[in-house]
Amino acid sequence: MAVAETAEGKADRATRFLWPSLAIPGTVWLILLFVVPFYGIMAVAFSSQLDILGQPIPAWNPLQWDFTVMRQVINESISGFYRPSWEHTFVYCFLAMMICVLVGYPVAYYVARLAGRNRGLLLALILAPWWINYLTRMLAWVGLLGDKGYVNEFLGLFGVTPVDWLAGNWYVVVIALAYGYLPFFIIPLYAYLDRIDQRLIEASRDLGANSFRTFFRVTLPLSRIGLITSIVITALPMFGDYYTNTLVSNSPATTMVGNSIEQSILSGFSRAKGASLVLILSAVLLVFMAYYLILTVRSSREAR
Amino acid sequence: MPNEANDSSRAPAWRPQLHRRDVLRGGAIAAVGLGAAPLLAACSSDNGSGQTASSDYPLARPDSPVTLPIFDDNKPIASGLEPENVGVLKVLNYADYMAPGVKSDFQDKYGAEVQVTPYNNYDEMLSKLNASGASFDVVFPGPSVLSRMVYGKLLQPFNNSYLSNIKNAWPEYQDPWYDRGSQYTVPYTVYTTGVAYRSDVVADPSEGYLMMWNADYAGKVGVLDDAGEALSMAMLAWDITDDINTADPEYINAAKEKLNELTGLVDVKIDITQYETIASGKFSVHQAWSGDMIAARWYLPKGETTEVLGYWVPDDGAQRVIGNDNIAIPKSSESPVLAHTFLNYMLDNTVSEKNFNWNGYQPPLDKLNAQYLIDGGYISDNLLSAVVVPEDFTKGIQFYEQPVAVQNMWLSAFMEFKSGGS
Repeated sequence: MAVAETAEGKADRATRFLWPSLAIPGTVWLILLFVVPFYGIMAVAFSSQLDILGQPIPAWNPLQWDFTVMRQVINESISGFYRPSWEHTFVYCFLAMMICVLVGYPVAYYVARLAGRNRGLLLALILAPWWINYLTRMLAWVGLLGDKGYVNEFLGLFGVTPVDWLAGNWYVVVIALAYGYLPFFIIPLYAYLDRIDQRLIEASRDLGANSFRTFFRVTLPLSRIGLITSIVITALPMFGDYYTNTLVSNSPATTMVGNSIEQSILSGFSRAKGASLVLILSAVLLVFMAYYLILTVRSSREAR
Repeated sequence: MPNEANDSSRAPAWRPQLHRRDVLRGGAIAAVGLGAAPLLAACSSDNGSGQTASSDYPLARPDSPVTLPIFDDNKPIASGLEPENVGVLKVLNYADYMAPGVKSDFQDKYGAEVQVTPYNNYDEMLSKLNASGASFDVVFPGPSVLSRMVYGKLLQPFNNSYLSNIKNAWPEYQDPWYDRGSQYTVPYTVYTTGVAYRSDVVADPSEGYLMMWNADYAGKVGVLDDAGEALSMAMLAWDITDDINTADPEYINAAKEKLNELTGLVDVKIDITQYETIASGKFSVHQAWSGDMIAARWYLPKGETTEVLGYWVPDDGAQRVIGNDNIAIPKSSESPVLAHTFLNYMLDNTVSEKNFNWNGYQPPLDKLNAQYLIDGGYISDNLLSAVVVPEDFTKGIQFYEQPVAVQNMWLSAFMEFKSGGS
């Protein structure tokens, strides 16, 4: 008895250090590549001194933080010249997300539930765009939608006068965003749909629900978390995207927050403004994230 | 930028002790003083006040030339050294501003591959050069940004014994007003800023700058991605002011409003690839530097001739915006001897001619004068407006270096325009 206890105690002590130690690589990674850079962004955003080149000197000491620029950027975001960027960002991302849902959900559903033995092939095809880098895929749109591009050539067959697709049209930006992020949307959703217990669906049909009713009463509610996961995973990078917009529009009329941040950061003098925008964007996305976490926690509690 | 992050109490006397609060306060005072409520209310950014801002180092003007200082901790390299054998020369420059043939010839001769990191404007260049850990061997600053770079110790002074080819340059560029004794710069190119257009699309090029505001060309109009160039064009086009170095927030704001109009009117684009996009027909009208249109012949689609290209500058030389670019060596260079070798190489008449043939930007070298270049068939008759002669500099208007606060005011206004602001 006594012997067994000691052995158990040893094992306890070993696991006490073992499990937390597994978190070390992740923690180090997080500190080096997230906490430190993020603190750097704050130091720039809250800096109050300019160097000889007119660029902000990072304020590493929180006691010296100055929130003038932050306040100003918030004001400009609410009622000043940053307002259009924010509006564009929310509207474009929302619309692109709608396209992702309308196009992505049926695809994910089909692959998960109906594709049968073609599933592997279909998954590979969905992932295929990832074999080509994002920039190249976006440049393909430039080739397609250019003045003398294939789309205009095709429309020309029907006597349609060439359209200036790339002349700063919001809908082109929305389409390009949806196109760029669609695979990110489909894959997590597919994983959720794939996990839905087939027996539940069969039970629903057994009890007399037709396939539409089954979908709306069983499949869709069960995939709700998957849908939200997909939306979150897609929304986070989409909100910060700037090069999609740069490539297919590059017009001040379609500037998104990502573009404003890029411009501010590239241009040294307004780095503090860019850093402030980054912080505001992070805060906005944090709200989404928090909502998502609350939902998942609640649903896993319900599942139990 | 470790040296910049130092405690400012240890900063040398010349460092501007400019706190953002001061700038804001200055801006507020100026705003109240002007009483130009509608213009300024529209813009609540951290505009510094031009009137109150001053610089802690002398700002060069043609009528008050400066000799840039040589600091004890930033001396020229010794004479008689062999170029470093590092296999690479790191250049910070505009994209497509140096002929590929000139780069490969340099590699053949000195065994160093010329690697270019591109920027769109000086602001971006400073940002990249000043990034901590960044190291470049060669950079291309114009006079409007030079003092700041020297006093900020971003450049190193030359050892002129490596730069014998400077004798090829126009005399005024062997001892220029912005850098007496050519201690930090050698000349690279001269150019005007004007409007490039497709002559097969544009009906009336004599509209000049107002071609940009002509809705007939909607969707195919671009301005240079450069705060000074874009805002000054609006100032000149709409007679806001002739002073393209103005520190008056009212003028700058008015110019910004005019640029904002372009967004709704013609869906303006902001970039610096007009040499390619005007030639390809993607743009019909684009603000441009003179060299762009001379180079544009290389980018024409098959079957088109230089006849489709046009370049407009004001007829009156006194109203032309004119400028020059220089080559300098960053302090962060790890191969300063190789960098000197490169500068001297670029000043060679033959190399320079080859470079001009490709990039279209005239080097201010005596031998490669306008007549020589025209006779050489480099410039077609319809683009003679893109030619620059030394006398243009005595008449034309130039960008000068501004106090940082004024510079930032311009940059701020430009950023608002780029953000699609209202």
